[in-house]
Amino acid sequence: MSFEKVIELKELARYFEVGGDLVKALDGVNLDIGRGEYVSLVGPSGSGKTTLFNMIGGLDRPTQGSVYIDGVDISKLDAYELAWLRCRRIGYIFQSFNLIQVLTALENVALPTVFAGLPRDEGNDKAQKLLESVGLGERLHHKPTQLSAGQQQRVAIARALANDPAIILADEPTGNLDLKTGTEIIDLLHKLNRSKGLTLVAATHDLKMIKASDRVVMMRDGKIEKIEKGEAPLNHN
Amino acid sequence: MSEIKQGKITFSFKDAINLGFNYLRRRRDRSLLNIASISLGLSFYTSLILTDVFYQTYASIGGSSLSVESTYYWLVIIALIVSVVGITNAMLISVFERIREIGTMKCIGALDQHVLLLFLVEAFLQGLVGGFIGFILGVIAALVSTGFTTGFDIITYVDPTRMITIFLTSLSISLILSVVATMYPAYRASKLDPVEALRYEL
Repeated sequence: MSFEKVIELKELARYFEVGGDLVKALDGVNLDIGRGEYVSLVGPSGSGKTTLFNMIGGLDRPTQGSVYIDGVDISKLDAYELAWLRCRRIGYIFQSFNLIQVLTALENVALPTVFAGLPRDEGNDKAQKLLESVGLGERLHHKPTQLSAGQQQRVAIARALANDPAIILADEPTGNLDLKTGTEIIDLLHKLNRSKGLTLVAATHDLKMIKASDRVVMMRDGKIEKIEKGEAPLNHN
Repeated sequence: MSEIKQGKITFSFKDAINLGFNYLRRRRDRSLLNIASISLGLSFYTSLILTDVFYQTYASIGGSSLSVESTYYWLVIIALIVSVVGITNAMLISVFERIREIGTMKCIGALDQHVLLLFLVEAFLQGLVGGFIGFILGVIAALVSTGFTTGFDIITYVDPTRMITIFLTSLSISLILSVVATMYPAYRASKLDPVEALRYEL
């Protein structure tokens, strides 16, 4: 099995100053994540999962250490290059969906393609196909408020896929969903991970989600406590 | 490596208008409040200018000589300043309401200048509509205030190019004031840190 590194974290640290105290949100994290791998991040709240996400997504800069995406040290990128990275290489899925309320499902999914410079028609076609692939072909022109929580998360997943990213970052994607809908979302993410070879990094408390992953990274106090193999074997075709 | 370096991010004026229009339509109440604010201030301005023009026209066709009291011009300036402050306030609220959405947009690739453009385009659209309405209200107000002395047909004696000039001036003032009023809120929005913005709970 070849292990092609997509994400590489080296001695990654991020300190915040809160009311005069130094908080070590991340404190020397080393981790390599391979192409097509499905990694779950687990740990109590405040253990640094979200900070780690923000680092990988280029939303926040490390205090020390570096983040490499496809071999590029992203702390060396300027704002424009980071925006491009977020737009084209990384797809975000949030716990609270974060759809643009004034736009329809189709427009929400097409928005990243606008930033990517795709012509309007092409972007809309792509968005429609993506929405169909997540089972929302009948709800293209609904606004987020007209969709159920599970449907909104499907729209968010379709949006995350809009520019064919290599990496999907999912922060508690099932946190606001009931058990059944949550399971459907996990299955969908798992399917995408396997069929498209997407690298999926998910912060989660959801046992089902953890079980489906290739590796489970356990975090505590800004450090990696241990890494375990998930139940799904890493299988590249 | 090279792919990231050569990457392109776009957000055209047309895209901004499309998205801005959606925001204005969906947040109709606030948009209407802004439009009302700008159009009321502007209608005062237009009505004053037109009243003066009507009086001049009346004198030129043989009527008695009348004029607008100069203190009214001070009131117009104050009314326009109040409009600007009102719009700035409403747009700041609009920024706070949309903090998470702004964070999300930055997350999926928007640059600071795209967020800035979006808000300024919204201001521009509001100014455009407010300018039209303000002008029409101003014409009506001027006619009501002068019509009983000069006759309501006075408007037909006014040189059309002069009317067009006044219309274009009113529209420009409306657009400029609306955009100026939105500059600070738009700047605040564009500088939002996406990490903070995404964590923000309303």
